[in-house]
Amino acid sequence: MGSRASTLLRDEEIEEIKKETGFSHSQITRLYSRFTSLDKGENGTLSREDFQRIPELAINPLGDRIINAFFPEGEDQVNFRGFMRTLAHFRPIEDNEKSKDQNGPEPLNSRSNKLHFAFRLYDLDKDDKISRDELLQVLRMMVGVNISDEQLGSIADRTIQEADQDGDSAISFAEFVKLRC
Amino acid sequence: MVGNAEIRFGRNRESKQSDEFEGGLWFVRHFFEESSEEKPLPIWAPDTKRAARARALQGSQPQSLEEDVLRENTSWAAEEAQGNESLEHAFFSLDYQHVQVPFEITLWIMLASLAKIGFHLYNKLPSVVPESCLLVFVGLIMGGIIYGLNNKSPPVMDSDIFFLYLLPPIVLDAGYFMPSRPFFENIGTILLYAVVGTIWNVFGIGFSLYGICQVESFHLQDVSLLHNLLFGSLIAAVDPVAVLAVFEEIHVNEKLRILVFGESLLNDAVTVVLYKLFRSFCEMPAIKTVDVFAGVGKFFVVGIGGFLVGLTFGMIAAFTTRFTKNIRVIEPLFVFLYSYLCYLTAEMFHLSGIVAIIACAMGMKRYVEANISLKSHTTVKYFMKMWSSVSDTLIFIFLGVSTIGENHEWNWPYICFTVIFCLIWRALGVLVLTFFVNRFHINTVTSKDQFIIAYGGLRGAMCFSLVFLLPDFHRKQLFTAATTVVILFTVFVQGMTIHPLVDLLDVKKKRESAPTVGEQIHIRFLDHLLAGIEDISGHWGQYYWKDKLEYFNSNYLQKILLREYDQPKSSIVLLYEKLERKHAIELAEAGQLGHAPSHPSLLNSHRTVIADRKSEDILNPDVLKNIQEILARSLYRIRRTVPAYNRHTLPGETEPTEQAKEILILQHRSLWTEISESDTFSSRKESQKADSYSAQGDSSPKPKLCRSLTVENAEKAQELKHNRSKSVCVISPLQPSGTAWVNKKETEELTPDI
Repeated sequence: MGSRASTLLRDEEIEEIKKETGFSHSQITRLYSRFTSLDKGENGTLSREDFQRIPELAINPLGDRIINAFFPEGEDQVNFRGFMRTLAHFRPIEDNEKSKDQNGPEPLNSRSNKLHFAFRLYDLDKDDKISRDELLQVLRMMVGVNISDEQLGSIADRTIQEADQDGDSAISFAEFVKLRC
Repeated sequence: MVGNAEIRFGRNRESKQSDEFEGGLWFVRHFFEESSEEKPLPIWAPDTKRAARARALQGSQPQSLEEDVLRENTSWAAEEAQGNESLEHAFFSLDYQHVQVPFEITLWIMLASLAKIGFHLYNKLPSVVPESCLLVFVGLIMGGIIYGLNNKSPPVMDSDIFFLYLLPPIVLDAGYFMPSRPFFENIGTILLYAVVGTIWNVFGIGFSLYGICQVESFHLQDVSLLHNLLFGSLIAAVDPVAVLAVFEEIHVNEKLRILVFGESLLNDAVTVVLYKLFRSFCEMPAIKTVDVFAGVGKFFVVGIGGFLVGLTFGMIAAFTTRFTKNIRVIEPLFVFLYSYLCYLTAEMFHLSGIVAIIACAMGMKRYVEANISLKSHTTVKYFMKMWSSVSDTLIFIFLGVSTIGENHEWNWPYICFTVIFCLIWRALGVLVLTFFVNRFHINTVTSKDQFIIAYGGLRGAMCFSLVFLLPDFHRKQLFTAATTVVILFTVFVQGMTIHPLVDLLDVKKKRESAPTVGEQIHIRFLDHLLAGIEDISGHWGQYYWKDKLEYFNSNYLQKILLREYDQPKSSIVLLYEKLERKHAIELAEAGQLGHAPSHPSLLNSHRTVIADRKSEDILNPDVLKNIQEILARSLYRIRRTVPAYNRHTLPGETEPTEQAKEILILQHRSLWTEISESDTFSSRKESQKADSYSAQGDSSPKPKLCRSLTVENAEKAQELKHNRSKSVCVISPLQPSGTAWVNKKETEELTPDI
């Protein structure tokens, strides 16, 4: 079970992933066993159906978007490296990392990268702006059928109006960061 | 008729010697202990020949059984002639003794249930005063009435009734619906609170009360240390019934609820051991250290033994349900029979029955639910809720009834100090233990949580029954009085004030300004995102033992205990299948996939509207307030790990499932919208091509999406959907001539299913 999984993952791979993502050895092996348990086709990659098989994700309003975030542009399969790279965004920031290596590339789980990840979930057309329509789509996913379109529209307008500072009726990444404060 | 009369008569006679007809509470007397030796005349005796005879006999003092029998028989024979005559002429006769026992039991249960209806008629009442308080109040009134009528103490609740009949349904209900995921995630904390916390409380209360007893002005010197420790052991136990009843009303987060609840259930093992230990010490002339160690060892035996007994019965129950395919009607019975047997077996060996029944329920739940039919499943759940509800109500009423009476010694200093010490030691215990717990966990137990845990340590009927099981010694009534006061205090005072206090604590933290609309949305967005990532990364699978257990389960246990590998489909999967079928039929009838989306497409049209909007409209505070309300009401909740435990409804009837269904329907619709758009687009592009397979190739990502959204790991259902949807996706962009074929194929494929 656990041992079977780790033999398929070579030690140097684990080291590379560790350096890239910052997860510990045990975390990587555990996530690898999770990866293999999700990978029903046993071909070393996950497809969208593999994700959709997770029951709780099906009833998560943002389920589809989260799944899409794992897949790089235009591809349908994600390997373990890609899986880990996406998950690395969610690793908690530890205090001892802040002082290390100011010159190196920003770690994947930095605050800015986390916010970028969330921003990309809103921004489907990748123009670095959350337009009113994109916001409406997300809102519709999150509130369901009980709210009329006009009400939803006014909520979206209100949100943009609160956050928008340069007057372009859309939320850019900088404004997004300030929104969450 | 003659034989029957004789038998009835004989039974009445025997029982009359041990108990009395007393008001309408003959049942109560029969099952409950008597608290005094008076034998008053019955207040209500129906006017039948037999009752009259009974009354006549009551005054006399029967010398021996045989004499009486002779006398009865002769007098009965003499009267028979008369009796026969009167019976011939009477069309209606009242024969109360015949049905007295079941009649009165039913009346009590009826009273309890009517009281419950009464409370819920006034919507505001349960939120101010918890149900348990109201029930105790009703019990007090009943006790007062009985006392007033009979002028003697009402019967005291028999411990056997409580432990054998009233407690098991409640614990079974608690164990069966216990959300196992949070329970096992927090099992370390729960065990720490249950075991160490209870021991701390017992010794703390015992020793401090002993200290109080040393004060001369209280006249309590004769209560020895051992007695105090014994008392401490029974008063320190947090009662699951009371905790459940009160925590219903206040809405705390899952983790907190499971902590308090789990602790109240598991501390039974410790309580049982300590109580029996101290009781046997009381009767022993000298205590050696060996005995103390034996006590410690006993604790492990009791706890682990109970657990093993429970698991064994759970596995046997699961195995039995494997073969019940042809007799679905009695399937629910097995669940209850095995659980009750398990409890009784554990009690037989003096192990912890509560731990056993919980282990049994949690162990068998998974396999039994897979094996029994959906209807049996619902039946099991409903019956469990019903029985536990009835038990719960009866316990509180009897608690109230038994309070009134003369078997209390009201030594107020002792009683007050008991209450104070209970509170203090519990608070101290929680503080110290939480300090240790927080050092090992990331999710700390906050101070608000700590307050709730400490304040929510309610005592209930368990203490009460244990006190009455005490051997009779001269200070027993002091203990009963103290126990009664503590229980009433916790139920009334703590039960009623915990809700306002929780709100007060919440209010203190909410002094920051209300979040803006954007923040609100975004916070919820992030919560959903995190929940999704947790699910993907298999957050639950992080424990080595859990993984091992899963492995063991899938390779061995499932093969033995499950009937086949068909997992029962949840209502969500069934709903999804129904939706798919409906859609496929609609498509077949419409002949094409150009299915108009039911809500207007959001991808267009609104772009130009923004510029025209005036900003004054949006700044309007009324509009803003409106928006906040709308959001608060309608934003989907984050998925809870499991449905929350609720006394009054079944899981699955509550909001989260409805929400899940809505989300599924929405996603389903948007999926079909996407498919229809992309397919009409692709069909426009390739309308010249007759090759259906290229259309299949272009729309291939979509069938994969169609295949999605199964909730259980129902591989069969998945494949079925895949085939159906793929075939629909493939066929539809064809020319109209294909539609006839589509119609025929779809309808004949689908009609057998529906």
